[in-house]
Order: sequence, then structure tokens, then C-alpha cells
Amino acid sequence: MTRGEHLRNLALLVVCALVLALLPRGLSLYYRSFLMFTMMYVVLALSWNIISGFTGYTSFGHVAFYGIGAYACAILVADHRWHWLPTLAVGAGIAALVGVALGYPVLRLKGPYFAIAMLGAAEGTRVIATVWDGLTHGGLGISLPSAETSVETYYAMLVLMVVTIAVAYAVGHSRFGVRLNAIREDETAAAALGIDTTVYKLAAFVLSAIFPAVAGGIQTYKVLYIDPPSVFFVQITIAMALMSMLGGKGTVIGPIVGALVLYTAQELTWVNFPTAHLIAYGLFIVLVARFMPRGLVGLAIDQGWIRKGMLH
Amino acid sequence: MERSEVRRLYALALFLLGAYALPFLVGASQGTVHLNERWLGNLATVVVGGLMQGGVYAMFAVGLTLIFGVMRIINAAHGEMVMMGAYLTWVCFFYLGLDPLLSMVLTLPVAFLFGVAVQKLLLNAAVGAPELTGLLITFGLGLVMIYTAELIFTTDFRTIPYAPGTVRLTSTIAVGRNRLVSFVLAVVISMAVFLFLKLTRLGKAVRATALNAEVALVCGINVRRIYLVTTGLAAALAAAGGALVSIQFGFNPETGVVYTLQAFAIIILGGRGHYVGALIGGVMLAVLENLVSLMVPNGTAMVELAAYGLMIAVLLIRPGGLMGVKEG
Repeated sequence: MTRGEHLRNLALLVVCALVLALLPRGLSLYYRSFLMFTMMYVVLALSWNIISGFTGYTSFGHVAFYGIGAYACAILVADHRWHWLPTLAVGAGIAALVGVALGYPVLRLKGPYFAIAMLGAAEGTRVIATVWDGLTHGGLGISLPSAETSVETYYAMLVLMVVTIAVAYAVGHSRFGVRLNAIREDETAAAALGIDTTVYKLAAFVLSAIFPAVAGGIQTYKVLYIDPPSVFFVQITIAMALMSMLGGKGTVIGPIVGALVLYTAQELTWVNFPTAHLIAYGLFIVLVARFMPRGLVGLAIDQGWIRKGMLH
Repeated sequence: MERSEVRRLYALALFLLGAYALPFLVGASQGTVHLNERWLGNLATVVVGGLMQGGVYAMFAVGLTLIFGVMRIINAAHGEMVMMGAYLTWVCFFYLGLDPLLSMVLTLPVAFLFGVAVQKLLLNAAVGAPELTGLLITFGLGLVMIYTAELIFTTDFRTIPYAPGTVRLTSTIAVGRNRLVSFVLAVVISMAVFLFLKLTRLGKAVRATALNAEVALVCGINVRRIYLVTTGLAAALAAAGGALVSIQFGFNPETGVVYTLQAFAIIILGGRGHYVGALIGGVMLAVLENLVSLMVPNGTAMVELAAYGLMIAVLLIRPGGLMGVKEG
């Protein structure tokens, strides 16, 4: 990709960010939180995509990091009277540490075994959050002091999204990203070429753990109440995977498009079909995975609508 | 076996020993262990109860291991298939007045056909694809099943009163009659499936496909048909598990998730794709769960943690599990 194309993409990102920054004043609370949720899912899908799309290690437990960030924020704000912004850094730090400690052994597993181990790890984290009463208040959950936080959290999420997109883009167009792709395509061959696969996999895993933790913290300060089932919800992981796949996993633009399309569709069906929307959602997952494993970006490339490498 | 493999097997054995000792240690420190006759009787009852429950778990875990062994697909809707079996049994019991065990004659073929349909319409596309495809397809299917069941049956817990009372095995050990009946039936069905796989032509073809699908194809086995049979059989086993679970525990549309995770833990402990491994894994998991719930405070949550902990530790120590071969 040429320098000019990079600059054009950067300009596109800046313009989108500016538009999103100007929006909240004119919007009702409902649309503001709708936008915020959408931005959060862009962050989550893009992060998941770093380990699972670029590197090919399908994480079925990424919600663990989201939950860790959420709990870091809730505990420090509610019990220790911290300001909420520094708690995001703490959450990111803990998620990175957990990422190293968990990733080092678990990334030795391949394919389905890695996916199952991550699922077990996420469920295990949820159970720990439920039983560790002294720290997490157990199943009762944590209520944060009530405040009007929807504007400041909106801007925090916007900043986080821009940073995540920038980082994912940089990874996707760097030697680092190419090496991750090499690991995905053939790990043995990658190692034979001199790539230290352990280090690269771990770096990708930790990178993909940090942003969901920050997103979890911001979201917690928005809704002001968390409990283990809500922040360690399996379907958050599924959403990350599904959005990436719907857009086109392994690309940068794919998870962004997937998050926008899927979250909007979800919101519309939820509003219009309150009883059947979960069935429709399940059906949608099945259909996307069955008929569009390469996603919208793959479809667009196949149809000749976009040139390979143009946007991603 | 290589030397390092033997070492890993020893490490796994040592870990399992520790896992079984842990509830006793916690129990001793929390004062829930009493070395009198009554408590020892309780302990024996819990272990025997675990064995019987394990037989049922093992039976539906075999279904998961079959799908995985033959197609390398993780069926994330397996627990929902168990749940479907439970509801089919419930409908037969309350609307048709059928005996829960007798109704299997009706429900298992239905489940088999369901499995065949799932394979034909959905899973054939996931064979040989990246694992995410199969995982998402089956997870989505599970969601559809859960919320369809909620629409029809609501989220209320259902139970089927069947074979009440207890059977005294010895002076101190007594088990519920329903649990004993379930166990016996689970053993019979597991044996039947085992013999089917070992002795019949079709069963041998299933095993051959699991070993190497390409070679099986070259040998003239219709691999697509084997896939249909495999998923059909797995769904039927799950439904049989559901029928046996339904006469022991309450269930609602969302209980399936727990069974999915238990089945994962079992096949990983026993060795994926390994039939006898699944049976051993099922019994070991159920006994451990019962020990935890007897001695460790905060029971239900800790029981779950035991299953996940066991699963991850086995994956890390010896990904092949107890019986599996080196892989992954």
C-alpha cells in the first residue's frame, strides 16, 4: 500500500472521529448510548481480530478481559473512591498480566483445543468473580455512586475506538502483522523461517486483551452497576467473533463493518420483535457462519466491488 | 510411547490425585470433614451417587466425542440437544402419558433425524473449515433451540416425577431409585453403542472415518453418509441423556449450557474422540463434583470451577487426556 493511501485512510479516520465528537450534543440519550455501544463493539471485534483473525488462534473466551476491566473499574471507584479514569489503566494492566499468565501456557494449544481452553478460562473467571466475596461482593454485584456519566464515557469510548483502530491498522500493515499472518497460515513454517512464534503469539494475545479491558471499564462507569453474569456474558465473546466474521476476519475494516452492521441489526430486531429477537439472532449466527465464512469484505472482493488490499 | 509422553501421563495422574485430595483438604480446614461412621457413610453415598451420575454424563459425552472424533467439529449445541431430549420426554409424559423410559423408543428416532438434518443443512459446510465456523454454527443453533424452547415451554423449571424412593445398597449407602434406573439404562445404551462401533460394518466405517477420512473415502466408504449417521447418533445419545437427566433433576431451557461444558470437560479429560476415555472421564468428573459439593462451602459455584479447572489443567498437562494419543 502506498504512502498516499495510508494518508487517505488516516484522514478518513480523523473525519469520522470529528463527526462522532460533534454528535452527542444534538442527540437524545437513546441515540448517544446506541452510538456508544456500537463504538464499544468496534473496539471488541477489532481486538478479538488481532489474536483470532490475524494470528488464527480462535479465542472463545475473550469476554474474560472485558470482565476484568469492568471489575477493576467498579471495585476501585465504589470501594476505594478512585476517579474513574485511572481505573481504566489499572484494568488494562491487570488484563495484560492475566494475558501473559494465561496466554503463555494456553497458546501452546492449537485450533479447537485453544478455543475450548479459552471458553473454560472465561467461565472460570466468572465463577471466581462470583465466589470471591471479599473483593467482588460476589453474586450481588457492585453499584457505583450514581452520577450523570453518559457524555464523558461517550468521549472516552470514542478515544478508545480511535486508538484501537489506529493500533489494529498499524499492526495489520506492519512486519509484525505479516509475521502474525505467517503463524496463522503455517506455524511450523513460520518458526522455520526464524519467527519466534511464542513471543509473537503472546504479544498479539496481550494486545488483544488490553482494549476489551478498557472498554469494560468505560462501560461500567456508564451503566454504574455490574454483576458476574452481565460482564462475563458468553454472548459478548460470540458477538466479537461473529462481527469479525460477518465483516471479514483477518482484515482491519472487516470487524468495523461487522460491528456496525450487526449491532444496528440487533438493535432493530430487539426493538421490533421483543420476543423472537434472540431466535432471530441465533438464526443469523448460523446463516453467517454457514454461508458467509469470508464475510462482507470477502464477498466484496469476490464480486469485484473493491480491490484486494484497498481498504484493509 | 515416548519418554516425555510417559512423564506427562504421570504428571496428569499426580494432578488428578491432587484434584481429588483438594476437597478433602478444604473440608478438613473448614470443619466439614468428620471421621465418624455417619460421615463416612455420607461420603460413600456421595461417591456411589457420583458414579451413577457419571454413567449418564458419560453417555451423552460420547455423542460429543463422536462428532469431534469423526469431523473435528466442536458441537456447542450438545447441551441443548440434551435439553431437547428432556423436553421431548416431558411432553410424552404429561401429554401422552408415556413412561419416560418407554418414550425413548419414540424420542430417540426423532432426535436421530434432527441430528441428520443438522448435519445435512449446516454441519457439512463446517467439515474441514476453520474451527470457528463449526463453533459459531452450533452455538447459533443452540441459541435458536434455547429460545424456541422458552417460547413454547417458558423458563419455568420442569420435573418429571418418576421412580421415587431409595434403594439400599448396603447398610449405609442408599441411592435414589430414579438414579439407579438411569444408571443401568445408561450402561446398557453405552454398551450397545460400543458394540455397534466395534462389531457392525457401519460402526467400523464410522471408526475408519474418524481415523482418516481420506483413506476411508479411498476404501469406498461413503464418508458423507457416515457424517450423517455420526451426528444423528450423537443427537440421539444426547436426547437419551436428556431423558435420563429429566427424571433426576429439574430442567429449563437454559440448563443445556451446563451440560455442554460438562461434556467438554469429560471428553478432554478422557481423551477426545476416544470412546472408553469419555466413559472414564464422565465418572471421574461426576465423582469429583460430588466430593466438592459435599465438602467445600459455596457448593454449586465451586462445582463449576472444578470442571473448568480440570479441563484447562488436563489440556495443559497432556492435551491428549487420559486415553488419547499425542496431538494438538
